[in-house]
Amino acid sequence: MSTEPLLSVEGVSYAYLERYRALEDVSFEVARGERLALLGANGCGKSTLLKILAGLIFPECGSYAAFGEQVSEEKLEDEQFSRGFRSRVGFVFQNADAQVFSPTAREEIAFGPLQLGLDRDEIEARIEDVLAMLEIEDLAERAPYQLSAGQKKRVAIASVLVMNPELLLFDEPTAGLDPRARHWLLELMVELGRAGKTIVFASHDLAELEWIADRCLVLSEDHRRLGDGAPAEILANRDLLLQANLVHGHTHRHGGLVHSHGHERGHH
Amino acid sequence: MIRNASTPSWLLEGESAAFPYSCSGKRRRGGAVEKTLDGLAKVARQALMSEEVAARNGLLQRLDARAKLLGVLGLLIAVGLVRHIPVLLGFYALTLVLAAASRIGLPWFVRRVWLFIPLFSGLIVAPAMFSFVTPGEIVLPLGHWFGHEVGLTRQGLTSAGLIVCRVATSISLVVLLTLTTSWPRLLSALRALLLPRLLVLVLGMAYRYLFVLLDAVSEMVTARKARTVAGRKDGRRARAVAGFSGGALFGKAHSLSEEIHQAMLARGYRGEARTLERLGFRVADAAWLAACVLLAVLTVGGDRALGI
Repeated sequence: MSTEPLLSVEGVSYAYLERYRALEDVSFEVARGERLALLGANGCGKSTLLKILAGLIFPECGSYAAFGEQVSEEKLEDEQFSRGFRSRVGFVFQNADAQVFSPTAREEIAFGPLQLGLDRDEIEARIEDVLAMLEIEDLAERAPYQLSAGQKKRVAIASVLVMNPELLLFDEPTAGLDPRARHWLLELMVELGRAGKTIVFASHDLAELEWIADRCLVLSEDHRRLGDGAPAEILANRDLLLQANLVHGHTHRHGGLVHSHGHERGHH
Repeated sequence: MIRNASTPSWLLEGESAAFPYSCSGKRRRGGAVEKTLDGLAKVARQALMSEEVAARNGLLQRLDARAKLLGVLGLLIAVGLVRHIPVLLGFYALTLVLAAASRIGLPWFVRRVWLFIPLFSGLIVAPAMFSFVTPGEIVLPLGHWFGHEVGLTRQGLTSAGLIVCRVATSISLVVLLTLTTSWPRLLSALRALLLPRLLVLVLGMAYRYLFVLLDAVSEMVTARKARTVAGRKDGRRARAVAGFSGGALFGKAHSLSEEIHQAMLARGYRGEARTLERLGFRVADAAWLAACVLLAVLTVGGDRALGI
């Protein structure tokens, strides 16, 4: 395994409409095969950071390198670079409705490989494999409006996995899913991690963190890097979690005893 | 009890200004704007759900979408050229036979077609029936105007009848095509035969997101309804609310479109749409096409033979 990081983010800042700050001087690296969780409260910049990693928006200052190459708007205009980058990076959006835009699930799954110019027979074969893997064969010819939120999420994931990317980005992967779909998705992420995929996902859910992440990067509400470490280490640092607004202090009564604790990790 | 320092005390107590919880006998129905919005959402959804018909195992459903599209186009041209009402009626009867063979309920099919007629042709042909637009033999006198007899003329009625029959038959053919072909297949056919890919991609997406925005509309209307307390009708306010809703919907559509574009870019889209074609042309399709062409030629030829 090479020691060079797969992703390298250096002093990245970003603001929407040049006014609304979303990221402030954020730096970190991601090793090949690592599973990194981006933690932070709503609006701290997790989604913005993922979009920068996906080469969809570009930092106003700082630099971002992926697979040993700097990624910039100008470089992505180059056809070969763009194809190389897009085929290596898969992005599962939080809003499956935005991602599933084709008339049928099958066409949706075919979209990515078709744009990259893969061979038709190869595409057909891959679609069948992905449909079987995600157990959605019976949804292939359905229109998106006939799918439930969980089914749409599966189609969105299938449409990314079919491109076999090295790096998978998930934005709030389990948001809006029922417990069964949620468990299925977390298991899939674990399996993909085991298969050697590098995974970066945004979340504010601390419950299953140790199961699906090797490392956590915590963003503060003022859009800066607040902490970086193994899940157990981060979860044990209550002050850090309180500062990031990921847990809140809570006072209540057990019989005659009044006590105060955080709300993290299944406490009541 | 959980108590947040910023929770106002009145929220923690029962509502003191509680409204009486019984009927007073005074009723109020929803405003016209609300009803229209809600109705639009319902009608559009019902119309689009007709895809269920496209999945039935009927005659036209079994044909390749390209063959169907071309065949219907040929028949439409023939209908446009026919100049005799009986020939058009014959053609119309044929669309009914095709509808029945395609397992489409006839009363529903007829209703669906004739719903459009007053809208598309009724208003246009109505003046043509009168003697002051189409002079000729008056069959139904309506009175006198400046010394001239005014009424419906035979010539006027014939030309109005011709237009109505032509429109009804044409709409029947188009409805047959759209009812028996699922939208994705119709798009594939358009792509394969006529339209540029980008345009077809846009059409496909417009259809796809119609549902998302329909949901947004009905959610907005429902949310408003949930907070509307019976009171006096206020048309101006209702129009203002419809305006806000329209604006909010536009905003939603805009941010959604930005995200969709990003989702496309993320999967390698570079301005040139490539799509999966899954159409199969078989002997039955060739037979259908041949039958359509033959029928079109025979009808137009026969119609010409009948004279003007």
